[in-house]
Amino acid sequence: MKNEGRGSLIEFQQQLVPTNLQLPDSILSKANQDIQRLADFPTTKSEDFRYTRLIRLNKLQLQTEKSFAPPLVNIAPTTEGIQIVFENGQLVSVVGQHEGVTVQSAQDVPQSQWLACEYKGFVQAMNAVNAQGGVSIEISKQVAVPTSITIIQRWSGKSQAVLLHHQIVLHAFASAHIEWIHEGRAEESFQNLLLDCFLAEGSQLKMDKLQTQEGNSFSFCTERIYQKKQSSFAINTLTFNAFFTRNDLEIFGQEEGTESKMYGVFMGEENNHIDNHTTMNHMAPHSTSNELYKGVLKGKASGVFYGKINVFKDAQKTNAFQSNRNLLLSDDASVNAKPALEIYADDVKCSHGSTTGQLDQQALFFLRARGISESKATDMLIKGFMAEIVGAVKSSHIQEALQTLLG
Amino acid sequence: MLKIKNLHASIDGKAILKGLNLEINPGEVHAIMGPNGAGKSTLASVLAGHESYEITEGEILFEGKDLTALPIEDRAREGLFLAFQYPVEIPGVSNVNFLKTALNEIREYAGLKPLSAKDFLQLVKEKSALVELDSSLATRSVNEGFSGGEKKRNEIFQMAMLNPKLAILDETDSGLDIDALRIVASGVNALKTKENATLVITHYQRLLDYIVPDFVHVLFDGRIVKTGGKDLALELEEKGYDWIKAEHA
Repeated sequence: MKNEGRGSLIEFQQQLVPTNLQLPDSILSKANQDIQRLADFPTTKSEDFRYTRLIRLNKLQLQTEKSFAPPLVNIAPTTEGIQIVFENGQLVSVVGQHEGVTVQSAQDVPQSQWLACEYKGFVQAMNAVNAQGGVSIEISKQVAVPTSITIIQRWSGKSQAVLLHHQIVLHAFASAHIEWIHEGRAEESFQNLLLDCFLAEGSQLKMDKLQTQEGNSFSFCTERIYQKKQSSFAINTLTFNAFFTRNDLEIFGQEEGTESKMYGVFMGEENNHIDNHTTMNHMAPHSTSNELYKGVLKGKASGVFYGKINVFKDAQKTNAFQSNRNLLLSDDASVNAKPALEIYADDVKCSHGSTTGQLDQQALFFLRARGISESKATDMLIKGFMAEIVGAVKSSHIQEALQTLLG
Repeated sequence: MLKIKNLHASIDGKAILKGLNLEINPGEVHAIMGPNGAGKSTLASVLAGHESYEITEGEILFEGKDLTALPIEDRAREGLFLAFQYPVEIPGVSNVNFLKTALNEIREYAGLKPLSAKDFLQLVKEKSALVELDSSLATRSVNEGFSGGEKKRNEIFQMAMLNPKLAILDETDSGLDIDALRIVASGVNALKTKENATLVITHYQRLLDYIVPDFVHVLFDGRIVKTGGKDLALELEEKGYDWIKAEHA
């Protein structure tokens, strides 16, 4: 019998169409089994969703028919770089090309070339079972892509279900910069995006991810990053004004000498809920990770930062640093922060810390005592708080967008 | 310019200023000295409008206007400047952007157009030279990683940029070595005109060798108990505050 207090995952999932991707059968059947076994959405008793209530998802009535994307508007072809645009989950354009870069629709990826082996939790399982397309980007050995590869996800309308699975493969010593831009304007909709990145030996991937969302929709976004020997990965995750956003970022430092950098800012207002879960797996020696997340919450917004670092037994000489700082600008705003370290190697350097506080009143007084209005001084302090991360964003597109968002 | 009459102020219910009177005219340099806990920094904070302090009695007139009715930023825009005893570090906010915002807000209040980028940079160049502030400090985050001396020079640099009518220097000499003290003092002296005034708050006579006051006031137990010329500072240096305390115990 169904427990009324919980949300039925199975019923929810029945609203979705079976995937059109050719994932290996073993993965599909396991994912299906997982969903049947779970039956309900995880409750706040589960470790992964302690501070994020999923029961609200049950109210969504999603369109069973796959929606047609509205006609493409206002997308100027890029003069440089590669731009890939999705409208409500439909791949509507790919502009630009570069030697050594292969871009194809995820539907065209053969079974043998889906590289991830494990799909954990209901979000990933649902994506495996129900993803409708995505993009696959492959960068050949030693190719350094000089310009950005931009993936734009537009999401609008009502009762839309958007499930996509992207895969990015960098062969040995390749390097690239990806901009991943989410523009959400949908009402009562559901989004489940999964991005897998495979970094071969010595490859380098930098990613700037900007999420903006208007409207009362639910967005789940997962990145799984697999790093081989001496590869380097860096991501800036920038999340603004999201009604409901859950990000899961998991990095697997599978071989020696990997470098991983996870920076993030999240900013919420009104009744926004932004949940950032990150997991860093140090599985081999001599690897480094650096993580810094900053949250700014006003109104009744709530935020979550959960940062896990796993150092495996063989991962000696690991350096893992994690820091989370949050600024609460109202009495009703809240944040739940939980750093979690599991260390099984004995020769490692790991640190973590989390602080949550209000605006520095002495700094506010100082700025006002120089003639700056309270509201402008507050804005300056918020921007200053985020500057460390915003400054790390290489993408000029995203920098421009940030200037608008931050006023 | 500044008229303080029977000022009483308290913090968390504790009375600090207990009937302070002070009048400062354009062109004058005043010094306030006094033992620890006399209320010197409280006076500076109250004038700047710090919201932790409550004014329980008395009035403060700045150019005839009731200062207590103005929010912090309007006091600055009216021409009041407080050089902080402990300048605040503001990570992520560049010194130059901060000053540009401050200067333009003050200009807007006075009905003036914002300064052009070129004129602003020219002003930065000119005024930072005044306090021998390395131009690289102008582009760094406000006070972040500045030495004690650099922070104080940065305060005077801001004062030079904003060109106030009344500058209050709150223990600007604390933490300065003799060279930095000389630089800060010569900056302050260079900014002195017949139209503006300076209020120097200090523990020690040392600073007053460089910034020579017209009046020296002794603040004790929330009131000004003695006023004299610059010689009073020397007398205090020699005899300490005990004789003042004895007179007013």
